[in-house]
Amino acid sequence: MSIYYYLAAFLFCLGLLGTIFKKDLISILLCLELMMSGVALLFILFSKSTGFLGAQLMVIFTMIISACEVAIGLSLIIALYRKKQTIYTDDIKIITE
Amino acid sequence: MAIDIFLTIITVIFALMLVFSKRTVVSAFALLMTLLTLALIYFQLGSIFLSAVQVLINAGAIAILFVFVMMLINLEQFQNNREKSKIKLVISTFTMLVVLGVLALVINNNIETLSVNNLTDNSMNALFSKLFSTYFLPFEMATVLLLAAIVACIVITTHEKQLVEEETELHKMEPKL
Repeated sequence: MSIYYYLAAFLFCLGLLGTIFKKDLISILLCLELMMSGVALLFILFSKSTGFLGAQLMVIFTMIISACEVAIGLSLIIALYRKKQTIYTDDIKIITE
Repeated sequence: MAIDIFLTIITVIFALMLVFSKRTVVSAFALLMTLLTLALIYFQLGSIFLSAVQVLINAGAIAILFVFVMMLINLEQFQNNREKSKIKLVISTFTMLVVLGVLALVINNNIETLSVNNLTDNSMNALFSKLFSTYFLPFEMATVLLLAAIVACIVITTHEKQLVEEETELHKMEPKL
């Protein structure tokens, strides 16, 4: 069971790497989802080791929040694609323009 | 113990495939498989309800939503002419290694207290009696959050121009009818 702690940490860090180095917005959202699942795994492991059942309920709330995040993120990507015809982070310079 | 290592290796392989594959469709497939193997891990840890919810919501709905959006956006037209910046890769790898090192150190120091199984009642009955008593307010707030997300998606993706055009067309139609 203890190997799963390292797995959760690794999933979180891999998602972080992908979020920084990926270029299109869909891949960035995929990596954010990976980070969320690492955190959910950590919650379940804590619930097992401490005996605190509320941590498992936190996983349900984490899933709800990640579903909202993905839905709004994808709709923003579609709106951006309609306006600028691209989804790459290099081509979007709204702040610096 | 053997099944722990087996599931961990499979999850790591699919997660690496997610981050390092060049095609976004392959990444979405790898995310789907990662979520399914994580559901197996939840099942093995004893939380059966969360495993079922993971398969239904995360793997069944969210990962498929990504594929739907990829169908709406034509990714192939500008996929190959992107050059990779090496400095970004170096910075992200450095960040990942630092965070992973800190987390591994924390886990390593507390591994004896963390690997004890203290959970006595893992049944769905105990879970839901807690959800509908102590955590009732957060549960209701989550439903409000979902409603707000639905409204936000509709508002963001609807064209303002399209709405105006449809309204004017309707006004033109009325005298004929």
